[in-house]
Amino acid sequence: MSETWMIAGAWLAAGLTVFLFSFLYKDNPFFKIAEHLYLGAGMGWWFQVYLYNIWEPKVWKPLLNYDWTVLIPSILGLSLVTQFIPRISWISRYGFTFMMGYGAGLAIPAGLSTDFITQIGGTIKPLSAMASSTPPAIFNSLLVAFGVICVLFYFFFSVEHKGAVKRVSNMGIYFLMIYFGAAFGNTVMARFSLLYGRFDDLYTFSAGQYLYATQFIIVGMIIYFALHGFLTKGKKEAEAAH
Amino acid sequence: MKLIKKQIPLAIVLVFGVLTLVSYYVPHKLSVDYIETMNKWENIVAAFAFLLGLVSLFFSHYYKIKRKADGWGYSLFVYVGFLAMVIPAFIWHGKQTSELGMTSLGWAFRYIYNALSASMFAVLAFYIVSTAYRSFRIKSAQAFVLFVAAFILILGKVPLGQIIWDSVLGWTGQGVDQVIEWIMGVPAVAGKRGIMIGIAIGAIVTSFKIIFGIEKQYMGKD
Repeated sequence: MSETWMIAGAWLAAGLTVFLFSFLYKDNPFFKIAEHLYLGAGMGWWFQVYLYNIWEPKVWKPLLNYDWTVLIPSILGLSLVTQFIPRISWISRYGFTFMMGYGAGLAIPAGLSTDFITQIGGTIKPLSAMASSTPPAIFNSLLVAFGVICVLFYFFFSVEHKGAVKRVSNMGIYFLMIYFGAAFGNTVMARFSLLYGRFDDLYTFSAGQYLYATQFIIVGMIIYFALHGFLTKGKKEAEAAH
Repeated sequence: MKLIKKQIPLAIVLVFGVLTLVSYYVPHKLSVDYIETMNKWENIVAAFAFLLGLVSLFFSHYYKIKRKADGWGYSLFVYVGFLAMVIPAFIWHGKQTSELGMTSLGWAFRYIYNALSASMFAVLAFYIVSTAYRSFRIKSAQAFVLFVAAFILILGKVPLGQIIWDSVLGWTGQGVDQVIEWIMGVPAVAGKRGIMIGIAIGAIVTSFKIIFGIEKQYMGKD
């Protein structure tokens, strides 16, 4: 890639970033352009990923080697597209039922081993090693086991939540709140790290070697909003006078 | 017609569901081969499912342009964005780098897709802050617990927060990193495990309902 392409890329990336951030001020055509471009670019990116990772190596190349078995999933897959023709849209059921059947068959052992047995095992295992654990580790293990039982009581609706059951399920809410709070804090920080990344790019593209892309685009946006505000205000005043 | 439209699709669910489930627990070469083949088939069908979404999106924006609906001009940018990624991908056969350095696909990914994607999610940071303001209005003891957990997590991940913690709560001998580690490893794990066990039970029951044809809403009407 030549230097010209790098400069063009810097202007494009800085422009698109500023266009998307401009929504924080108010909705505007630049934001909508960037939004639609994102939709198209995202679809384009995934299209080429599927093309060069699935269709070409797993469908096209086997067919060239006379491996006709790949025609079965291809036909099942193509059947999905009949959704667009209402008269024969029932054909798409063949593709959907294959995915549902395979997915359901896979979800049972996966859910059992990773989300059910492993989680119960992770809660019970430390309790069996209490004799060799330190007092803080014993406390933590008991707290986790107690918390899991309380949360499960909270989600258990086969008995009415009153008396002791209500007290236990209320304790479960506290453990859930701690988890939600921790998850929320992590999400906030993840979003902010993306934001720092964008600011870092904008700072990089503000350098002379990129012909001050960030500054020019931000100034351009400010001029647009100022002019738009001025013209809209003039129109509103004229309408009010009528 | 009922056989072709309804019974055969339900039989497909049953056969593939039971075979996949059984294969997982049968340690035999046949079952390993079956899972491998089905995994490949599923990838292929899923790729076509993506095509379904793509065609649907294109149709929707095509009709918007054709009808000259409000904001139809923006719809053109969906096609511009798509072509901006797909044309370089065709030229470079899906490769982002070559012996000459970054290809035009790599360039499009770096300066268009990545810039747009990261900015779109970064904008959410501002909305999360406003949501945090609303959700952190402490109205109950449970809301207070949520606030404290989130606050400590956020505080501990920025250097300024660590300085504040050390100057205010340094006398406890516990660093904010250790407190975060404890929250994430003990009470948060208890909450998460309860949820995961609940989800697992729900997913397993729903899967059985799908395999045995009790749940068939995904087939649509008729």
